[in-house]
Formats: sequence, C-alpha cells, structure tokens
Amino acid sequence: MQPFALNYARPAPELAVTTPYVYDSGLQLNVLVDGRVAASDHGLLREVGTTTSTAGSKTHFDD
Amino acid sequence: MTVLILTCEEDVTADMVVVHLHDAGVPVVRLDPADLTVGVSLSGEFVHGRFRGHLSAGGRLVSLGGLRSVWVRRPGVPAQRAQHASAWLTEEASQALYGMLRGSHARWMNHPDAARRARHKPWQLRLAQQCGLPVPATVITTFPRAAREFAERYPDLVVKPVSGAHPQDPPRAVPTSRVAPDTDFSAVAFGPTLLQRRIAKRADVRLTVVGEELLAARKAAAPDADPQEVDVRFAAPGSPWEPVEVPPRTAETVLRYMRGAELAYGAFDFVEDADGVWWFLECNQSGQFGFVEVETGQPIARTIAEWLGRPVPEERREADEPDVRAC
Repeated sequence: MQPFALNYARPAPELAVTTPYVYDSGLQLNVLVDGRVAASDHGLLREVGTTTSTAGSKTHFDD
Repeated sequence: MTVLILTCEEDVTADMVVVHLHDAGVPVVRLDPADLTVGVSLSGEFVHGRFRGHLSAGGRLVSLGGLRSVWVRRPGVPAQRAQHASAWLTEEASQALYGMLRGSHARWMNHPDAARRARHKPWQLRLAQQCGLPVPATVITTFPRAAREFAERYPDLVVKPVSGAHPQDPPRAVPTSRVAPDTDFSAVAFGPTLLQRRIAKRADVRLTVVGEELLAARKAAAPDADPQEVDVRFAAPGSPWEPVEVPPRTAETVLRYMRGAELAYGAFDFVEDADGVWWFLECNQSGQFGFVEVETGQPIARTIAEWLGRPVPEERREADEPDVRAC
C-alpha cells in the first residue's frame, strides 16, 4: 500500500516548454534570437510560463 | 562590491533582477554550482591569520571579500556537471563553495542554514502560530487513528505533501486535494500525512517579502470554480493576480516571522476567507515571483535588486579583514 498522500497524485504536468531564448554568458542573461533580453518581454514570460510557481517544482522545493 | 547570484542558466526569473542590477551599475557574477570544475572555479587560502578566496565564472573573477551579497536562487547540485561527477565530489564541492562563502561576510538572500530550516513545513506552521498568524487546524501523523479522529473533528479536510516536493519515480504531482469524509485513512501508516482543515476561500494571496518590503497580490476565487480544485497552482487560470494592500496586523506578524526565520526573502501563501482573514498556508523561502510581477506589474525584481545592491557598511568590510587576535 502506498502512502496516503500519493492516493491524490496525478501525472506531472508537461513542463517541457521549448524556451525561445538562450543564455548569454557575457550578459549573464537569457536573450532572444533577435538579441533582446527575454526577461524584458513580459508577454513572452507569461506565454512560456517559466516564471510560474510550478516551474521549479521538479528540482526545487520552493514554489 | 559584487553581487553573487547562484542559479541555473535557464532561470529567466533571476534575469529580471540581473537587468535591474545592470541598470544600477552593480557588478554581478552569476554562476551555477553545478558547473564547478567545468566553467566555474574557486580558490581560498587561510594563511597568516587571514582568509583570501576567489571565484571565477564566465571569465569573471571575484574576491570573496569583494562580495556585497549572495543570492541563492535556483542553484544546481554542486559539481553535478563535472567530468567525474559523483556524490563524493558533490559533497566536496558543496563544502568548499558554501563553506568559503560563509566566511565572506556578504549578506545572504537567504543564508543556507536559514533556508534549510525554513523549508520544513511543520516548523513554518509553528513559527506562524508563535508570530500570531492564523493557521488552519493541521495534523501531521503516521497514525491512521489520529487521522480518523482529526477528520471527525474537522470533516472538511485537505491533504498535501509535508515537504512540498513531488515524487519523481515516476514523475507525479501531488496538489493540495480535498479528502472525502468517508475516506479510508489506513494508508496514513505508510508515510507521514499532513491533513489540514480546508478554509473556504474567496481568494488566494501571495505575499512576497523582500527585506522589510511587502508586496502582496490577490487572486479572487471564481464563483463557478470547481470546489474540488483547491490548489491554485493546478486550477484553471480564472481571475488575474492583482495588487492588494497588506492588513497592518498581518504585515506586522509577517515581518516578525521573517525575523524569526532569519530570512531576507520569503513568498507567503495565504487563503482569504469570507471574513477577509488571511490564513497562513506556507512560506516559500525561495518562492517564484516572476509570475506575480508579470501579471501585476509590482516591482518585485527591482526591490530584490535594491536589497542585493545595497552598499556594504564599513564595519562589515573591515570584518572581512579579521584580526586573528580577536579569537
């Protein structure tokens, strides 16, 4: 028998989002293909959801 | 004086802060401890009563004595990407990096010792009680009988993980979930189980605390929301997050919690009941904030950057040159 809380488990949400930015070690920031800083594009961040409170759950405790 | 940010490259939320630090002209070194020995290097000498340490990453070299603050955001496991990665090497790298950083006198957001303690939900609940925050009746138990008796006293319950972590083998999510009144609690014997009285909420509240600054956002519960969906992270999008004032009494107790927990940053989750009371659920010591700023426009990243970029007091700089006679 499994622990009680796992009776309420569900499949992990698909977090395999393809992010349209790459890390630039010179800037120490993620940048878009056109060179813009990804963090400055709030519309994009909302769309890809990488700043949401479930984004870090797989590897970090802190949502 | 430099701000050191420990996080992974894909952490675009950290980018939101780096942008502000760049704008303010504050030097930044950002590295992922997972890259130790492959792209990240360290060295420290304890000679003639003095300590001198350096970190190098991405072609940048910083003296540990030249750090004004350390932000522990989403660091990887130390040396995880090293050529000969192992549990032993991770421990070696962790001790070397965090051990030397502890001697730097930089300000931490958050200090690793405080962070480790603050992750324990039972400890959070107790501290919240002691600070005067309303905490829903909760039991954490491996006794099925204790769970049954708790359910008799509080028939409307939710269950959630004690740790907040999700199982990975296989990957599953364990959202906060309602527990039916006629539930069989025998499986409680197979793992510590956290049961909590459900608060009938009219809103979720996310309160981000940066130093002494409080930035709260509220997400109203939809009138037609599925009553079984109690975890805002897994519910349908619904209402947007909107800025909200923090009641003065709550502000006072939250700051007391932050001092008690020795945290510089915390993301509190509350639920607001029909009377407007904010019930404490948890405090995430490194909780996400990007989604709140994106939706509300609240200047959380800027506030974090300002905290990290504060000038180092003269006495602290002098403390980085310790006099061995002081011991």
